[in-house]
Amino acid sequence: MYQYDAIDQQLVQERVAQFRDQTRRYLNNELSEQEFLPLRLQNGLYVQRYAPMLRVAIPYGMLSSAQLRTLADIGRRYDKGYGHFSTRQNLQFNWPTLESVPDILAELAEVEMHAVQTSGNCIRNTTTDQYAGVIADEIVDPRPYCELIRQWSTFHPEFAFLPRKFKIAVNATESADRAATQVHDIGLHIKKNDAGEIGFKVIVGGGLGRTPMVGVTISEFVPREDLLTYLDAIIRVYNQNGRRDNKYKARIKILVKALGIDAFRKLVDAEWEHLRGKESTVPMSEFERLQGFFTEPAYKALEEQPQSLTDKLANSAGFARWYERNTFSHKKAGYRIVTLTLKKNGQAPGDATSEQMDKAADLADKYSFGELRVSHEQNLVLADVQQDQLVELWEAAKESGFATPTLGLLTDMICCPGGDFCALANAKSIPIAKQIQDTFDDLDYLYDIGEVDLNISGCMNACGHHHVGNIGILGVDKKGEEFYQVSMGGASGHDASIGKILGPSFAQEEIGSVMKRIIDLYVDQRTEEERFIDTFRRIGIKPFKEAAYAKAN
Amino acid sequence: MQKLIKDGAIVDNTYSLVNDAEQVISENSIVPMQQWIENADTLGKVAGIWIDAGEGVEALENQDLSQLDVVAVNFPAFADGRGFSYGRLVRERLGFKGEVRAIGNFIPDQLGYLLRCGFSAFDFEQDVNLEKALELHKPFSVAYQGDVADPRPVFLRRG
Ligand code: HEM
Ligand code: SF4
Repeated sequence: MYQYDAIDQQLVQERVAQFRDQTRRYLNNELSEQEFLPLRLQNGLYVQRYAPMLRVAIPYGMLSSAQLRTLADIGRRYDKGYGHFSTRQNLQFNWPTLESVPDILAELAEVEMHAVQTSGNCIRNTTTDQYAGVIADEIVDPRPYCELIRQWSTFHPEFAFLPRKFKIAVNATESADRAATQVHDIGLHIKKNDAGEIGFKVIVGGGLGRTPMVGVTISEFVPREDLLTYLDAIIRVYNQNGRRDNKYKARIKILVKALGIDAFRKLVDAEWEHLRGKESTVPMSEFERLQGFFTEPAYKALEEQPQSLTDKLANSAGFARWYERNTFSHKKAGYRIVTLTLKKNGQAPGDATSEQMDKAADLADKYSFGELRVSHEQNLVLADVQQDQLVELWEAAKESGFATPTLGLLTDMICCPGGDFCALANAKSIPIAKQIQDTFDDLDYLYDIGEVDLNISGCMNACGHHHVGNIGILGVDKKGEEFYQVSMGGASGHDASIGKILGPSFAQEEIGSVMKRIIDLYVDQRTEEERFIDTFRRIGIKPFKEAAYAKAN
Repeated sequence: MQKLIKDGAIVDNTYSLVNDAEQVISENSIVPMQQWIENADTLGKVAGIWIDAGEGVEALENQDLSQLDVVAVNFPAFADGRGFSYGRLVRERLGFKGEVRAIGNFIPDQLGYLLRCGFSAFDFEQDVNLEKALELHKPFSVAYQGDVADPRPVFLRRG
C-alpha cells in the first residue's frame, strides 16, 4: 500500500490548517455562504437534510486496518457510530457538526487520510477494481497508476473549478470491469501493445446523472509515460469549452456529444502536441518507485484447495454457499479473495457500524496482512486470505454480519442514502432496498435467480447507479408523493449499457411485488446458461413490461 | 486610488480597466482583447488587454504581446475556472513575461492556485481585506504538479 513521504504528509497537514481557517472565517461571517460552499465541497463537506455530511477519500479503495480503526473511532466520537461506504469507494459520515470537521480532518491526517476533492467541481477520487493486484488475469496492477493519478489530481492548480465534477476510473483486466469505467468522465483501460509496452485505452464522456451516457474511445493506446500530459490535455479542453451556463449540461459527456468524438479528439490532440514530452512526462523511475509500494505481501507457499477446505465444502451447505458467492479466485495458490458484505437485511446497503469497522480491521490484521479494500458495490474486501483459514474467517464474519452470502445476487444492491439523508432526494431509497430484501429473503430462491445487478437511486442524480443496473429503481416525486420508476437492461462492465425505462412509475408498496413478477418472468423464460441480463437481451423489454404491469390475478 | 496585490505586495492600481466603448483610452488603459486586436493601428499605446471568460487565448497567438505591460483575465464568477487555463496558456504557450492580472469575481482563497497558474497581480472587484488575502497567498509549501513557477512535477523534484 502507498505510504506517505514528507511531501504527502506536509500537504495534508497544510490542508487541515487551511480548512480550519476557512471554517473559522465562515463561522465568523468573514466568508459568505456562497464563497464557503465550493471551498467546503472541495473538502468533502456537504450540508444535508439533517446535518452536514463529510465524505472521506479512500484512494482507489485501499485501506489499512489502522485507517479503518480511525474511521470507526471518528464514527463513534463525531457521528452516530456508523459510516456509509459509497459506490466510489469512499466513506461518508452523516452526522458530524460543521465545527468539528477541522478536528476530524486533523485526525485523518494522522493516518494519511483526508477528504480532499471528494466533492465539488474538481477531479474526484480515482477508483479501480477492488481485486487489483491479486487476480491472475490482470495486465498489470493498476494501483501504482491510480496513485500517480491521485497525486497529479490533488490540488491541481488549473482544474479546481471545472464546469462540473470529474471522475476517473481505471481497469486492468479483460475479463471484467468492476469499476464501471465506461460511465466515468474518463475511463482508463490498461493495455499492453505488441511491443509489450504498457499504456492506456482512454474512454471519455461517460457519466450518469440526468443524461446517462456510455463513454467513447478517444485513444486506443496512450503510452503510460504520456498519461498525465494526455489527461491534462483532455481536461484543459474541457475546462475551457465545457458548458457553464447550465449545470445539468456541464459534464464532459455533453461536450463530447455536442462536438462529436472526432472533433473533440482533434482539440485534445492539438493541445497534447504542446504538452507531450514536456516535464509532466512520467519517467521510468517514478513508475518503479510507485510499483515499489504495491509489492506482494509475504505469501506462504501453500497448497491449492487444501483438504480441510474440500471437506468443509462437502459438509457445510452454509459454508459452501458463502465460499461460492463471497470469495473469488486469487493469483496465488492456496489463497482466496474474500468479500465482507455490507448487505445484511435491516442495515442500509453500504452502512457499517463503528463496531463492524473495528471488527473488519481485526479480521484484516488476522487474515489479510492488515489491508482491506472498499468495492464499488459497497462492500469490504480482504484480498489475501489463506484457504486454510477460510472456515475460521467465515465463522467470524458471520458473527459480525459480514457473511450474507449474496455477493452479486439480487439483494447485493447498490443503494444511495436517498430521502432518509439526502437533501436532493425525490424519494427514499433505503426502505425500497429493505422491501426487496424482505421479498427475496429465501436464499435458495436467490441462488436460483443468480446474478442480477439491482441499483437504487433516490433521484435522477443517479448516485445509486440505477441507469447501469440490470434492474434500476429511481425515486421520483409525483405531486409530493414518492413513486418509483423501474428501468431494465443496464450494465456497468465491459458490456456497459444504459437501462430502458419500463413505463409509468410504481407506488412504494408495489415495488416488492413488481420485482417478484419481473424475476418470475425471467425464471420462466431463461435457458439453462442465461443470466438475467442475457435473457433480457434476448427477449427484450416487452414481456417484462407486461409482467410488471400485470394486475394481480 | 484602488489598491491591488502585485508580486506579493499591496500597491496602488495605476491602470484603468476599459469595459465600455465610451471610455477614453490612454496609455494606462487595459482594453478588451478583441478591441485591441481589431484596432491595433488606431489605439496607440495601451497598458494592456483583458481576456473575458469564453474568449480563449487563440486569438493572441499571432500577436506581439511584448509591447504590453499587462494581460488581465476576467473571472465573471469565482466558480468559473476558465481563467486558470488562460493564465497558464498566456505564460506557457504565449510566453508572456509581463504582469498577468486576475480581475473580476475571484476570491482570496483562490490565490494559491492562481499564482501557480502564472498570475502575478490580483485586482478584486469585491471589497476584500487585502492584508488577509495576502496571508492566504500560499496555502501550500509543496505541490505535486508542475506549474508556471516550476514546471517540474514532484517526481522530478523528489530526492
Ligand atoms: C447524500 C449526499 C449526496 C449528494 C448531495 C450527492 C449529489 C450528487 C449529485 C448532484 C450528482 C449528479 C452529478 C451530475 O450528474 O453532474 C451525483 C452523482 C453521483 N453520486 Fe452522489 N450525492 C450524494 C451521495 C452519494 C453517495 C452516498 C454515493 C454512493 C453511494 C454517491 C455516488 C454518486 C455517483 C456514483 C454519481 C454518478 C456519477 C455520474 O453522474 O457519473 N453520491 N451525486
Ligand atoms: S441519487 Fe439523489 S437522493 Fe440519492 S444520494 Fe444522490 S442526490 Fe441524494
